[in-house]
Amino acid sequence: MLQCIFLLSDSGEVLLEKQLTGHRVDRAICDWLWDQILTQGESLKLVPVIASPTHYLFQVVREGITFLACTQVEMPPLMAIEFLCRVADVLSNYLDGLNEDVIKDNFVIVYELLDEMIDNGFPLTTEPNILREMLAPPNIVSKVLSIVTGSTSNVSNTLPGATASCVPWRKTDLKHATNEVYVDLVEEMDATINRDGNLVKCEIYGEVQVNSNLSGLPDLTLSFANPSIFNDVSFHPCVRLRPWEANQILSFVPPDGQFTLMSYRVMKLKSTPIYSIDNIAVQFRLPPCVASSDLSSNYGAVNVLVDKTCSWTIGRMPKDKAPSMSGTLVLETGMERLHVFPTFQVGFRIMGVALSGLKIDKLDLKNPLSRPHKGFRALTRGGEFQVRS
Amino acid sequence: MAPPAQSHRSPSPSQPSGKGEVSDLKTQLRQLAGSRAPGTDDTKRDLFKKVISYMTIGIDVSSVFSEMVMCSATSDIVLKKMCYLYVGNYAKHNPDLALLTINFLQRDCKDEDPMIRGLALRSLCSLGVANLVEYLVGPLGNGLKDGNSYVRMVAAVGVLKLYHLSASTCLDADFPPLLKQLMLKDKDAQVVANCLTSLQEIWSLEASTSEEAARERETLLSKPVVYYFLNRMKEFSEWAQCIVLELVSKYVPMDTEEIFDIMNLLEDRLHHANGAVVLATIKVFLHMTLSMTDVHQQVYERIKAPLLTLVSSGSPEQSYAVLSHLHLLVMRAPYIFSSDYKHFYCQYNEPFYVKKLKLEMLTAVANESNTYEIVTELCEYVANVDIPMARESIRAVGKIALQQYDVNAIVDRLLQFLEMEKEHVTAETLVLVKDLLRKYPQWSHDCIAVVGNISSKNVQEPKAKAALIWMLGEYAQDMQDSPYILEGLVENWDEEDSAEVRLHLLTAVVKCFLRRAPETQKALGDALAAGVTDFHQDVHDRAFLYYRLLKYDVSVAERIVNPPKQAVSVFADTQSSEMKDRIFDEFNSLSVVYQKPSYMFTDKEHRGPFAFSEELGNLSIGTEPSDAAVAAQRVEANDKDLLLGTSEKEEGHGYGSNGSAYSAPSYNASTTAGASQAHFDLVSIDQPSTVHPPVSFAIDDLLGLGMPSAPSSVPSTLQLNAKASIDANAFQQKWRQQPISLSQETSIDPRGVAGMMNPQALPQHMQGHSINCIASGGQAPKFKFFFFAQKEDGSSAYLVECIINSSSCKVQLKIKADEQATSQAFSELFQSALSKFGSA
Repeated sequence: MLQCIFLLSDSGEVLLEKQLTGHRVDRAICDWLWDQILTQGESLKLVPVIASPTHYLFQVVREGITFLACTQVEMPPLMAIEFLCRVADVLSNYLDGLNEDVIKDNFVIVYELLDEMIDNGFPLTTEPNILREMLAPPNIVSKVLSIVTGSTSNVSNTLPGATASCVPWRKTDLKHATNEVYVDLVEEMDATINRDGNLVKCEIYGEVQVNSNLSGLPDLTLSFANPSIFNDVSFHPCVRLRPWEANQILSFVPPDGQFTLMSYRVMKLKSTPIYSIDNIAVQFRLPPCVASSDLSSNYGAVNVLVDKTCSWTIGRMPKDKAPSMSGTLVLETGMERLHVFPTFQVGFRIMGVALSGLKIDKLDLKNPLSRPHKGFRALTRGGEFQVRS
Repeated sequence: MAPPAQSHRSPSPSQPSGKGEVSDLKTQLRQLAGSRAPGTDDTKRDLFKKVISYMTIGIDVSSVFSEMVMCSATSDIVLKKMCYLYVGNYAKHNPDLALLTINFLQRDCKDEDPMIRGLALRSLCSLGVANLVEYLVGPLGNGLKDGNSYVRMVAAVGVLKLYHLSASTCLDADFPPLLKQLMLKDKDAQVVANCLTSLQEIWSLEASTSEEAARERETLLSKPVVYYFLNRMKEFSEWAQCIVLELVSKYVPMDTEEIFDIMNLLEDRLHHANGAVVLATIKVFLHMTLSMTDVHQQVYERIKAPLLTLVSSGSPEQSYAVLSHLHLLVMRAPYIFSSDYKHFYCQYNEPFYVKKLKLEMLTAVANESNTYEIVTELCEYVANVDIPMARESIRAVGKIALQQYDVNAIVDRLLQFLEMEKEHVTAETLVLVKDLLRKYPQWSHDCIAVVGNISSKNVQEPKAKAALIWMLGEYAQDMQDSPYILEGLVENWDEEDSAEVRLHLLTAVVKCFLRRAPETQKALGDALAAGVTDFHQDVHDRAFLYYRLLKYDVSVAERIVNPPKQAVSVFADTQSSEMKDRIFDEFNSLSVVYQKPSYMFTDKEHRGPFAFSEELGNLSIGTEPSDAAVAAQRVEANDKDLLLGTSEKEEGHGYGSNGSAYSAPSYNASTTAGASQAHFDLVSIDQPSTVHPPVSFAIDDLLGLGMPSAPSSVPSTLQLNAKASIDANAFQQKWRQQPISLSQETSIDPRGVAGMMNPQALPQHMQGHSINCIASGGQAPKFKFFFFAQKEDGSSAYLVECIINSSSCKVQLKIKADEQATSQAFSELFQSALSKFGSA
């Protein structure tokens, strides 16, 4: 299992070192890795699972921070990588974002979190709700609270009740003044379109995100009007799988706060009426042989950076004209024609619509203390949406 | 286990240099130690933070150890945690000081707050000081019985930590049976899971010496225990589920009904949001149905969707790990993803390591129905700005072409690549066209027409140049300019740095001469003249060989250099099927990512007292040069001394256009004149710069000896040098360079197997027969040894890989020898020595 975890800055500095077992991993391993990263070019290009002369390394890069784990024994690689991803998520969640400074300022809480997340190299819990019960996040609220109450510790005095409960993701006696639950369908559309306009591939990846602020032990059921469109689904551990298998109904006791209830893939798209596409932006990279460029558009702003990345921000689609971009490219001397053509990355946002066509039928609360407020929203974003030229 | 020898990064100017600040801290802490004034904790907290932050950036603050301990008397839990962290970091190297901490840690283990009890116990067990273990026993015993599950959970892991520090203390305190009780009774699932991980490790390690432990390890896999875990599956955390699922995958069900029950129970795990759980479940499914062909196929169908979801929904790092597994599956069942090939289309923004695996998937899933679309997509990538991606894509197209699907369309595409006028595309394509022609000679006219138009000046990469030259020689009669292009190349002989290219040039000129003598005469003369004075041994030898051959009899030369060629039907696979099966057995492990069974690379810690040296641990990485995981190549690229000679490093990457693709088994097997020529040709292409001249091989072959295997020709009175020695590095290099001269299976005396209990016994025994053990490793039932021996007169060295299966008493031998003719004699000697093991 994992023997050590390092957090490295984007310049290779060790921000944090957490030894996990009796076998001590020397931090020289980080120097070795950094040399690799330097010789390989961009750090992102480095493979997530590599063999160093002494250890097998797993690395995950988030916001410039490298999460590095070492082991010398065989283990499931996806387990190590998933774990590092969760560590990154939890830290980002606790510290309101990830960067070098925020980790340096909060290294004590990072150590504390790691202590609860992994023992002797075996992951224990990475469930944010449970961790929050053990360690309050160092945000302003808790700072204010500590000043008001005179408590100087961000550690709760009680152990999470959840560890012993049968719903480990939720503590037992939650009370909310406002009883509310929001369900968002958030979809990303991945598509590749050829230069002749043909759709090479298209797929929607979606998540059902729930924000639950309900008192007591609420038992919810959520059903869809058209569950047959899913190609594959995966669920938060709170979802009971039998009702899903029998009737495609999501039955669950939700964790408190924001979480992803379910994620899904849809491959066959039905045409859905689209009302307004927003935040349209086109990004591409000019081929290296382009010496200079002069690009302009009849709508939106065009911006060309030194590294030849070009971005065209369109925003909302205008009603009166089709946006177009034109201009001249000057090739390097000796080049007669363009040999390579850029791929355009398109970003967009469609509010109020789940492009997959997924519709929520109803959300019921089985044991309501009072009628909760329920809210539903939908949103589709451009994921890897690319147009070839 | 020394880490890479590199100096620590010196602290940057903004960081404290250490000494002054540390001694300041020391004084401040000392002042606070006894203070009970209000606000002390806040001041302490700031100081502790400073200490920990110094520790984190790598400054040695061990000198404030006693002050930290003095300040540890506090009820503030954050202070305690920082103190535990500090102590955990320095105790191991300051055992005397560590004793100071025992007192307060033991006290904290009795605190009324369960969190403090747990944390203190965790710290106590993590001190890592062997002579303090006696202080652990009491708190651990109490911890296992604690009323709070948090403390029990910590204690369950603590037992394992104690075991690693002092196995005897742990066993004497009867902790394993206690753990077993907890495991089968505790209400808290995390406690149960921690007991399981601890017990698995303890009993596995004990099993080799204690029958009882071996039995206990077996009971973990017994029906009641496995069912107990399965029934509690949903209580476990996602990580604990992974561990339980791994256990279940080792369980052998009684009948098919049981298999279906287990699969039904676990099916919902395939929808888990955690990919590690999904993959662990898939492993259970695949393993349980191995012997049920139909169900196994259904399992592939069932796991398809979740796997594809994992690939497309996770981060690139997760995709990478999942794709490695998909690749393994698709090698076993290419059809499963053949209609889902679009999932493996590359996205513009993906990191290269993901794209590369996706390309491998695309080549693997290509079949009659989807080849056209896949190749069209690949062509998009070839036109891509990204050069490495373009190269990989061309190789992928070539691989598909060699798989025999819709070759017409592909050859056209490849030829279009040549017209793109991009140097890297041309280079990569030339290498492929050459391979294609060897398999599909019928395409020569189309290809030659296009290849003839390529100016050799635009081809600089050695591999590509060699390919072009090969075609110029091979198709001399079809390419009008061939003699003149070759002549131009010969004129620039001195500027040609690559020996491989010069070797090819020699051969091509000779082939051309045999077909178009008048036009090539000048080029031939120049080439032979340049060749015989070449500083490179192989080039020099080959030039002489050709010279003498031609002088002896041109028609003989014709027969040898230019025989009619048979098309290559199958290029050698880079991995044996046995190897693939082994990797499959290790599904959901690092083996899959590295594409090697784990005995080849892991478990250095557990290899026992005379473990593989670091270098030999990596040895096997070099044995299959092509198509190895990128990871392995990275190591290759960096450890040139350890792994690869420079020649292979130049072009050690990627698809098997190098060595392995050439050594088609059909060539090696036959001994007809034609084929042995081919073999000769191939050997010299493959190993241009190995230490021993390949030409000597070639001559052996030319004389029709083949690989010497007749023992009768060798006197069996082989004498070994009793003082032979070799260092591990040299051994490794030799092992990598030499071909296997003899591969045999034999058996070992069961009494000998009993002797394997003592890991030193066999090496000592063999040493008595002048055969030295270089490295060894493995665990029952599979042990692996590397031996070395030398002929009395020093003329030949023998390298042996010996794999002993202690349960079947089977022994697999691989022998490599300088003097191949004596390898049989050596093998007999080795086997006779081995057979005496245990009987003496």
